[in-house]
Amino acid sequence: MNAIEIVNLSKNFGKIGALNRMSLDVPEGTIYGLVGPNGSGKTTLIKALVGSLRPNSGFAKVLGLDPLKDKWELRKQIGYMPQSPALYDDLSARDNILFFGKEQNVPDLHQKTDEILSFAELTNRADDAVRTFSGGMKKRVSLCCALVHNPKIIFLDEPTAALDPYLKMLFWILFRKLAQSGVTIFVSTHQMDEAMLCDKVTILRNGEILAVDTPRNILHRGKTKLKIFDNHEEKTAVIDSTSENLADELKKFGLEKNISSVELQPDTIEDIILSIIRKKEKEEKS
Amino acid sequence: MRHTFIIGRRVLAQLKGDTRFLVLSVIAPLIIIYFLKLLFDTFPPLVEVKSFTIPISAFIVHFLSFILCAILLVQERTRGTLERMMISGFSKTAIIGGYTLGYFGLATVQAITVLAESIWLFNLNYDTKTVVLLFMVIWLLAIVSVMLGIFISTFAKHEAQVFPFIPLIILPSVFLTGLVISPDGLPVWAQIIGKCLPLHYAVNIIHEIIKPEYKLTDTLVDFGILTGYIFGLLVLASLSLRETE
Ligand SMILES: Nc1ncnc2c1ncn2[C@@H]1O[C@H](COP(=O)(O)OP(=O)(O)OP(=O)(O)O)[C@@H](O)[C@H]1O
Ligand SMILES: [Mg+2]
Repeated sequence: MNAIEIVNLSKNFGKIGALNRMSLDVPEGTIYGLVGPNGSGKTTLIKALVGSLRPNSGFAKVLGLDPLKDKWELRKQIGYMPQSPALYDDLSARDNILFFGKEQNVPDLHQKTDEILSFAELTNRADDAVRTFSGGMKKRVSLCCALVHNPKIIFLDEPTAALDPYLKMLFWILFRKLAQSGVTIFVSTHQMDEAMLCDKVTILRNGEILAVDTPRNILHRGKTKLKIFDNHEEKTAVIDSTSENLADELKKFGLEKNISSVELQPDTIEDIILSIIRKKEKEEKS
Repeated sequence: MRHTFIIGRRVLAQLKGDTRFLVLSVIAPLIIIYFLKLLFDTFPPLVEVKSFTIPISAFIVHFLSFILCAILLVQERTRGTLERMMISGFSKTAIIGGYTLGYFGLATVQAITVLAESIWLFNLNYDTKTVVLLFMVIWLLAIVSVMLGIFISTFAKHEAQVFPFIPLIILPSVFLTGLVISPDGLPVWAQIIGKCLPLHYAVNIIHEIIKPEYKLTDTLVDFGILTGYIFGLLVLASLSLRETE
């Protein structure tokens, strides 16, 4: 079943088309990545899905419900982490989490709050005012607020933007664990390496979808630079990044005894996503 | 109803967390009233100042509750917590109710301290019944101010946009409602504007209450209108508080 269905969704802010007739489906229990540069419409799309923004045309269904008409039904089942921390500075981390969780009738809210605080490594700061936190710590509190009520689907707008690499890894391990238990995660990012950690990735630019694919297939769209040293003479070839191509290319060289080393420089997912975006830009200019 | 209490408690907790804000909003009116006392002391003894003190105290509470509530709510919008509250499942009515409830606490403290200081500074010897009634008027007015603050906050995109509403709403209250001069001498159109402002009714009631021959029945209509403002503004506020962009 699809957790999210979007058909021809459009939203304009005056002359700016933030979403242009966008359509996509998100299967349940997947980590779905939304990748795109600044202003590509990631936040706008997430806001339309959680029901805080009214689209101009088209429709969206989240868990089979309309984000605006069935908002009360839907709000019980979704978690939302906005791009800005959206916390009460004068309240402690714990009170923020308790406040946003209270509405949802979580049976063991206090225990759940303790658990999630300890996961986010905030236990020893839990009762300090959020005002005294660093940017990354605020992000962590904000994520806790989005997760505390065990939502079925979670919308995360650049959740790892200010996190250090270690915590970023911990969060992605958590996202994976949640997805395995059936939770759908809809996450936006402009850090391309995170696209690799998603089940499926949509590349956005100027409110349009440029590509929808698995990270593996996106990697295959790239090129790999092959360097072969034949009696210390360097020979290079640029091939498509699929395993079959590599074998074919190597066969040409016969891999004789004197081939001492084979070096591969595959495009990273960042290279590929950027080139998809750049290609579109060039097309539009010409 | 439960949600209203949750928000009310959170607003109070937030006020408690910001000690400087809390102290200022309780101390500031007291200081202003002390200045008022100094000012009135310069007047020749023939000028009857006592009938002005309580209306002016009421006005100070009105003004501060309005501005503080409006700014805090606009802050919720700019920080994104308003959106988050709504997506967490809080309804508009719970938000408005919760804010009123939270400020109710602050307004009560303001009303008590302001009234106590005025009575003490100006040696007003009112009986208990009068004091209780005066307190009730100031209190009602404070709730009206909170509602007005919520309503006005829906027109402001950021904190600074609240300030143009001060001359628009608060200054006419000073000049047209009988706070410092009787509105009877004003042109009719100005009197009508004055009658649209909630402070007009609060001042009316206060002037009646402090008369020795006061009967509760004389002010029932004005009390009714003041309460009507609460419900009217509640409806307006919940209509203008937008859930979607
Ligand atoms: N409230 C608004 N009023 C006017 N224009 C807006 C508003 N919100 C977004 N836009 C415009 O819509 C477009 C998409 O913005 P959006 O915030 O969705 O981008 P984004 O992909 O989230 O970018 P970022 O990576 O910077 O967060 C931008 O051109 C932006 O200027
Ligand atoms: Mg964004």
